Amino acid sequence: MAAVRSALLKHLRLTPPSIGGSPHHPPITPSLSLVIRRWFSEDLKGSFLDKSEVTDRIITVVKNFEKVDPSKVTPNAHFHNNLGLDSLDTVEVVMALEEEFGFEIPDNEADKINSISLAVEFIASHPQAK
Amino acid sequence: MASRPKLSGLQKQVLGLYRGFLRAARSKGPEERQRIESIVSAEFHQNSKNIDRKNFLQIEYLLRRGKKQLDQLKSPDTVGLSSFTFSQQ
Repeated sequence: MAAVRSALLKHLRLTPPSIGGSPHHPPITPSLSLVIRRWFSEDLKGSFLDKSEVTDRIITVVKNFEKVDPSKVTPNAHFHNNLGLDSLDTVEVVMALEEEFGFEIPDNEADKINSISLAVEFIASHPQAK
Repeated sequence: MASRPKLSGLQKQVLGLYRGFLRAARSKGPEERQRIESIVSAEFHQNSKNIDRKNFLQIEYLLRRGKKQLDQLKSPDTVGLSSFTFSQQ
């Protein structure tokens, strides 16, 4: 459903640039610049979250995780080395982050997140994070 | 950066399955969800401790079994999950 909707929106939004084809905007590589413009403006409009806010929220989530000693949670903490979590626990943490930020992290990305700083980096650069 | 060696394919499959179960649990009622999560979490953690990491045959068997169970759990008709525990002597 969401996919259909976004596909439709993208399609509909193809028109304005061609109609309002502003003269002060030289078409460099039309398709590419369109894609980039759409990618950064409309779909994902201003939805990148502030890094420090993301850090705070992630730290709160991790501190609430029952197997973690809250005093050990720092912005640089590594899930395994510093917090003593195994890979299964890490899956749980990342799933909790998904819920906190309201979007789904695909498996191959989720497998790479093994520290708070990596989680911050990924979520802050993810446009759908809320 | 990575202090642990990269995850093996089999490990990724197991983690993916675990993620699948946790996602499926989200679609159930809050009470059931918690029950499912605690059962699933306990089983995965227990197996991760009890099964030798080189015992591919058994891990693969459990993966297959888990996938089937996950498919069942995903069905909207399935509302919950329960487990038996046998006391070990």
